[in-house]
Amino acid sequence: MSTTRKRVYGYLAEFKSASALYKAAEKVRDAGFRKWDCYTPYPVHGLDAAMGLKRSILPWFVFFGGITGTATAFTLAYVTQVILYPTVVQAKPTNIFTIPAFFPVMFELTILFSGFTVLFGLLGLMQLPRLNHPLFASKQFHRATDDGFFIAIEARDEKFSPQATRDLLADIGGENIELVEEEQD
Amino acid sequence: MSHHVTSSDIAIQGDHLDNSKVSTIKTILLIIAGVGTVISLLGLFGVFGVWFQGTFAYSWVFAYYFFLTLSIGGVFWTLLHNVSNSGWGTSVRRTFENLGSTFPWVFLFGIPLLFPQVNQYLFEWMNIHRDAGHHSVIDHLHHEDHLLYNKHWFMNIPFWFGRFAFYGIGLTLVIWFLRKLSTNQDTDPIPGVENLFRARFHSTYTLIVFALTITFTGFDFLMGLDYKWFSTMWGVYLFAGSALNSMAVIVLVCTWLKSKGHLQHVTGSEHFHIMGKLMFAFTTFWAYIAFSQYFLIWYANITEETSYFLIRNTGNWNIGMICLVFLHFVVPFIVLLQAWLKKNPKYLSIVAIYTLCMHALDHYLITIPERGVSLGRINHEVFGDIAPAIPGAFWGDILAFVTIGAAFLFVLLRALGQHSLYPNRDPRILESANLSN
Repeated sequence: MSTTRKRVYGYLAEFKSASALYKAAEKVRDAGFRKWDCYTPYPVHGLDAAMGLKRSILPWFVFFGGITGTATAFTLAYVTQVILYPTVVQAKPTNIFTIPAFFPVMFELTILFSGFTVLFGLLGLMQLPRLNHPLFASKQFHRATDDGFFIAIEARDEKFSPQATRDLLADIGGENIELVEEEQD
Repeated sequence: MSHHVTSSDIAIQGDHLDNSKVSTIKTILLIIAGVGTVISLLGLFGVFGVWFQGTFAYSWVFAYYFFLTLSIGGVFWTLLHNVSNSGWGTSVRRTFENLGSTFPWVFLFGIPLLFPQVNQYLFEWMNIHRDAGHHSVIDHLHHEDHLLYNKHWFMNIPFWFGRFAFYGIGLTLVIWFLRKLSTNQDTDPIPGVENLFRARFHSTYTLIVFALTITFTGFDFLMGLDYKWFSTMWGVYLFAGSALNSMAVIVLVCTWLKSKGHLQHVTGSEHFHIMGKLMFAFTTFWAYIAFSQYFLIWYANITEETSYFLIRNTGNWNIGMICLVFLHFVVPFIVLLQAWLKKNPKYLSIVAIYTLCMHALDHYLITIPERGVSLGRINHEVFGDIAPAIPGAFWGDILAFVTIGAAFLFVLLRALGQHSLYPNRDPRILESANLSN
């Protein structure tokens, strides 16, 4: 018999419907929990407000990512076309007033840098990619991609208590409440 | 949204504007519009002398087209809402329809353009056509102006009159019919989905009438000011400004109605958020189109095309054009990026007023720089030599703007008072009221 150490991840509770989950999420939010999440088969409108989620910081990353793109393109075009190798095309000036010719590439790099910041910023904030998630240890959790609505409250939340949290989940309509443990080696 | 809106929150008999509360402002607007129109007509037909007649003709086109874009935009948003089968905006759709319903009235202010006393100063190609006298116009153009000879199939006076009638009648019928379908539902004892589906069906092909109207009024009334100039971007450019600024008017009207205690329960920050996003989208679209037009003309450097920008990049007009780049695009772009701002009707209204000011600048720069150039060419004894601007003509611009603006506001207030302020028996009103985006 091998001795594997197990670490408690938290409680997982199932809810009957999206609206039951929504109302339960409001109660978990009001109970003051921070480290918890909802799992649904499809996006539920307004659930982030019910969970008390703050606005993501991602738009700011994208804003500055986009500005970096604009500045990069302008610098690249200006330095090469005006300073290093002034190129007269169709009698257009080789100075700052050539800027309309730079706009397409400034636009493109703004989009490109914004797009990259969205993608990589999102992956970073979500801590993806990851190979495993403790909740995968639960036998019922795969139904979150089919017809199951779940709330999981993590044990590392300051408000977590083995008995009171279980009672809270039962009170707000949670079923099949399960203590999920992740295996450690 | 504070709570889930149910049918008990919807006004069964509709949410009506109290006409007695706006009667004072309507009377004032009507007096301003009436007095202004009388003075303007006297001026346009030469009672105050040739100088005023010529310079004021341009003021009139500027103010006329500015308010026409707002009305046409109202028709556009109505059509788009119907044809895209939208549910989000049902509670503000009546405002789209009310704004669109000002079109026939605003369009009437274009009637002076039909008269040679007015259009001789605006559309020089008509003068050249009229010079033919009793002779064949084609033969005359063949000898006089080969460009006009080639453009004769489109630019001839009978066809121009025909198009004028088409714009006025076409879009009037479209908005009148769609608004009637919508308002009939308010009192329908068995409100089904029939009116909604009919509106959706009839909004499809009428979008073509809308597209032809915004494009070709732009060609006939604005691009025709210089018959040598052309731009295939022109229609889209005017459409971009029209859609943006009619949405700005809609935001202002909705904010005003909410402050007067109307549209309660059915509109909230989510609706303003969407309308703000549409304003943001069309701010960007306007910049994209405006730059595309400038860019191609600047790069290709063809004489017929560059004349437009040569005039507008001369002297003080250039300051205005550079201002447009930053104040019509960069500033509202950055400001409208904030989600919290778009959700707040008060702040969004401030942006809407700002956008309308920029739209006025945009249209001022479209119409007025042509004045000094054309009038100097037509009659330099009265108007002086060809110059970027004619000193003192500015006061006429204000007169025309205030006159048509007062008339526009009057018919808009009148339209708002005619029916319920939101379609209270529309099958989608609850979907719209509980909007979340």
